[in-house]
Amino acid sequence: MIDVDGVTCRYGEGGGGDNEDIGDGDGSGGSRGTTAVDDVSLTVPDGEFLVVAGANGSGKTTLVRTFNGLATPDSGTVTVNGTAVAADLVAARTAVGMVFQDPRDQLVASTVGADIAFGPENLGLAHAEIDRRVADALAAVNMTGREDDRVETLSGGERERVAIAGALAMDPDHLVLDEPFTGLDEPARRSVVDRLRALHREGTSVVIVTHDLRDVLGLADRVVGLSNGRVAVDAAPADAVAELPALDVRVPRK
Amino acid sequence: MTLAYVPGDSLAHRLDPRSKLLVQAGFAAAAYAYTTPRGLAVLTLLAVGCLRLAGGGPRDLWGYRFAAPVLVIAPLVAGATLGTPWFRLDRAADTALASYRVLLILVVAAGYVRSTPVRDSRAAIQRTVPGKPGQFLGVGVGLVFRFLPLLKRDLLTAREAVRARGGEALPVRHRMRLVAVAGINRAFSRADRLGTALNARCFAWNPTLPPLALGREDYPALAVGGGLLLAAVVAVIA
Repeated sequence: MIDVDGVTCRYGEGGGGDNEDIGDGDGSGGSRGTTAVDDVSLTVPDGEFLVVAGANGSGKTTLVRTFNGLATPDSGTVTVNGTAVAADLVAARTAVGMVFQDPRDQLVASTVGADIAFGPENLGLAHAEIDRRVADALAAVNMTGREDDRVETLSGGERERVAIAGALAMDPDHLVLDEPFTGLDEPARRSVVDRLRALHREGTSVVIVTHDLRDVLGLADRVVGLSNGRVAVDAAPADAVAELPALDVRVPRK
Repeated sequence: MTLAYVPGDSLAHRLDPRSKLLVQAGFAAAAYAYTTPRGLAVLTLLAVGCLRLAGGGPRDLWGYRFAAPVLVIAPLVAGATLGTPWFRLDRAADTALASYRVLLILVVAAGYVRSTPVRDSRAAIQRTVPGKPGQFLGVGVGLVFRFLPLLKRDLLTAREAVRARGGEALPVRHRMRLVAVAGINRAFSRADRLGTALNARCFAWNPTLPPLALGREDYPALAVGGGLLLAAVVAVIA
């Protein structure tokens, strides 16, 4: 379970955390720097499919980056499975797998297999366990047998799936995806949605950050809408959908 | 082609990276010890053989084309004089041979890069150089091989962006400045994002490294590498 309690993140002058790369534009300005996330409290139970929605600059990327310590709150606490993120970064980053907006930023090796193995190798796992995790992660994203493919030869959808596999190989309890459909064509979007649906069905908690709910509203258990760094909506999809357009979030037509 | 590993099953792919590193070191030493045309002819055959054993060919050298201007211009600069005779062929020839030696070393390096996964190179370095220095070198090699292709792509993207808006009409110096500034900006933000990605996946200085083992096929390679080093030492002493 991820528990966010009163988290505020600022960047620029007055910001104490390492939050320069907020990912989705500007947050609200102020004399003490720009506030990207403003006193947010939130709980993500195990197994939930949560959508964090908001316009550019609403603070959603910064918020989810606090889940595994990639962004440091200026105030408030984030705990993962009962342990404060700041107290054990490796535990947090193992429990919360992160897929970035642009998968090219995430892929750190030249072949698919080497990239997926990168995280488990850093955890110091045995070779047999690393091999098993790579095979399982590839199967989970429907890319079995593609270990030796060169990353630069993959399509956008395949890169996204390899990035997801790289996060899954850490054996996370929660999988966080930041705008996973950006730049993907319709078949690639469908492929990613299918994989996410399967992963969620198998028990992985999924958190998706997006400003466009058309692909994921049907999968969501809950939608949290952010505006100017604050939680403006926190409701079941059916209830949230009426309020989200006011936050500049795109929703499916009825 | 790129400066990157290409999966395959060639003889060079099957060799332990430590054997390949020894061959590279021996080749570099021999190239600087044997500077005569005959010596370089022998080394040329050896270099081409190394690349072929890695399943590579001339296309693999395309990734090194950025070194070509320096290698070509160096003999011209070396041969030029400020007065008569304006150009000294003997000096230019010496430098041309030196440029050619560098080219041969790049050919052998292309064979190594093509046949060796980055994490195997890291493992070879960390097991050969003990302690923190080995970890530092291993990580450095890994990051350089990861970062160079991205840096190249960023520079090409910046160049295309300049061209797309009619930048080709600008003077070369102006274009170079635009591409360099945009490319460096991209490289810095790329480095930030790469750092974040490494953190997200629990980057460790001492991860589980792939197992390395010398096999039967490595012994000839070790003999070639050791022989080249020995030949270089003999040539220097003589």
